[in-house]
Amino acid sequence: MSTITVGAAPVPVDTPAPKRNHAPGQVRICDTTGLPVCTVAERFIRLNAVAAVVFLLVGAICALLVALTRWPAVHLLDPVWYYRLLTAHGLNMLIFWIIFMEIGILYFASTSLLGTRLASKGLAIASFALMAVGALVTNWAVFFTQQADVLMTSYVPLRAHPAFYAGILAFAVGALLGVIDFFATLYIAKRDKTYEGSVPLVTFGATAAAIIAVVTILHGAIALIPAFTWSLGLTEVPDAGWYRIMWWGLGHQSQQINVTAMVSVWYFLGTVTVGAKPLNQAVCRGAFVLYILFINLASAHHILVDPGVGAGWKIWNTSYAMYLAVLASLIHGFTVPASVEVALRKKGHTKGLFGWLAKAPWRNPGFSAFFLSLLIFGFIGGITGVTLGTQQINIIAHNTLRIPGHFHATVVGGTSLAFMGLAYYVVPLIFRREYPLRWLARLQPYLFGGGILLLSMGMSFAGSYGVPRRHWDVEFTGAQFSAGFDAGAHLMLGVLGVGGVVAFIGLLVFILLTVWAVFLGKRIVNRPMTPW
Amino acid sequence: MKPAEDIRRQQQESADDHHAPGTLVLALILLASFAIYYFANWKALADVWHVR
Repeated sequence: MSTITVGAAPVPVDTPAPKRNHAPGQVRICDTTGLPVCTVAERFIRLNAVAAVVFLLVGAICALLVALTRWPAVHLLDPVWYYRLLTAHGLNMLIFWIIFMEIGILYFASTSLLGTRLASKGLAIASFALMAVGALVTNWAVFFTQQADVLMTSYVPLRAHPAFYAGILAFAVGALLGVIDFFATLYIAKRDKTYEGSVPLVTFGATAAAIIAVVTILHGAIALIPAFTWSLGLTEVPDAGWYRIMWWGLGHQSQQINVTAMVSVWYFLGTVTVGAKPLNQAVCRGAFVLYILFINLASAHHILVDPGVGAGWKIWNTSYAMYLAVLASLIHGFTVPASVEVALRKKGHTKGLFGWLAKAPWRNPGFSAFFLSLLIFGFIGGITGVTLGTQQINIIAHNTLRIPGHFHATVVGGTSLAFMGLAYYVVPLIFRREYPLRWLARLQPYLFGGGILLLSMGMSFAGSYGVPRRHWDVEFTGAQFSAGFDAGAHLMLGVLGVGGVVAFIGLLVFILLTVWAVFLGKRIVNRPMTPW
Repeated sequence: MKPAEDIRRQQQESADDHHAPGTLVLALILLASFAIYYFANWKALADVWHVR
């Protein structure tokens, strides 16, 4: 077979084993994947994964209660607890669960895929400690001070308890230390020549996520440090318009770290589940570079109706630059399923256009979670995102439930579902424990993905009727004039509620199975994991 | 073949690595869905925002 190489330098398959730089006894070879596992990094991957699942549970309980309040037929919580739990839900789900997972992914993508040791154990300890303390302090501020019901956006002049800002800042500094450890690990891998040719695509994608993370964290510091000193009474209140622009450099970009990490996870799961390899290395890497250069500008679409910034700035960011990041998602959205198709066709599943899709390993939760994540992200999150990010259309959608309908499809149906698929391999490969109740694990991605699909569609269509986001009571109970929405909107809010309950059940199943596997699962010793 | 070997081989590409007709159809369905949703939104905007 003739071989062409695009982008990266060719790597002869019969090259000698690369060098290792681990201390004696600090590396093992995974019996399932054949990848080297740095045992120091392994410990921190475990710690970050466990912390991620703990905060996922906190955020999920808040999510259920919030969804049951947005469903007018139930309308569960009073307004104080509704806004309190909405604040906690956003922070725990969008920041703590996902970034703990991402730091674990960075350690894996650098040490195992490049065959190197972790650069600094001390940095990893400091990173985890700061992140854990920061997340706990922020949750304490939200739940126990009764002075932090400011939602995740915490727009000034809403003022939260100082511990709220201090916790987020500590978490961000911890995450930054983890990212620095990742870059240092890339450096020593290159220096010690532990790999041949270019870094694997998954590591390249993780590097893109790490670069975006640095920019994100700097924006967070610029926005939150003045808010923190103001909450202490040391400085004047920051300018509200300036704060919103800086805050979205944190708030939206943190979701772009998620997108980039999620795409890396797609490539990884494509490889481990069906043996897929990227369709074209140069194009895939180019798409990650587009993310680095342009995806941060997408944060501008949060202030499309803000009078404080000019039309030229809005139009340039959201109608030109942002589409270069959309192009990157379109490239990945094509190359990832195409690489799966090529791999399955090579295995003989060549019947018709979609014979490969019918024969895909849908009983493998790693595969089903990954592919459902791809479909929900692309068809629901992607289509709605590009449309809502258009300046003119944004006028009829801004601050309606259509916006959460979009980002629940990207961040929850996309990123969280992909990370769940990753967990079905992380637990057997890193914790070396088997999942129990495998039939339930096979069902879980469908339950969670289906629930999120209902939730997102319910939100999107209710928002199309004009139902506002974040609002505690869209019926305006007790108002002197008749207000509220017609039956169609209520039907969609009901779909939102049912979807929320189904997704919560799917999430609870994931947490229970994962906790059971980690602590009580059958040990995997000197043998590969049982194939899904 | 173990994933570690798959990852080492990933930087080699051959011409038949690019034959993915099913994915092409999926991509076209996505683009058609986007076009319908996008222009339906422009129609909705035109319904509430009259240009005289």
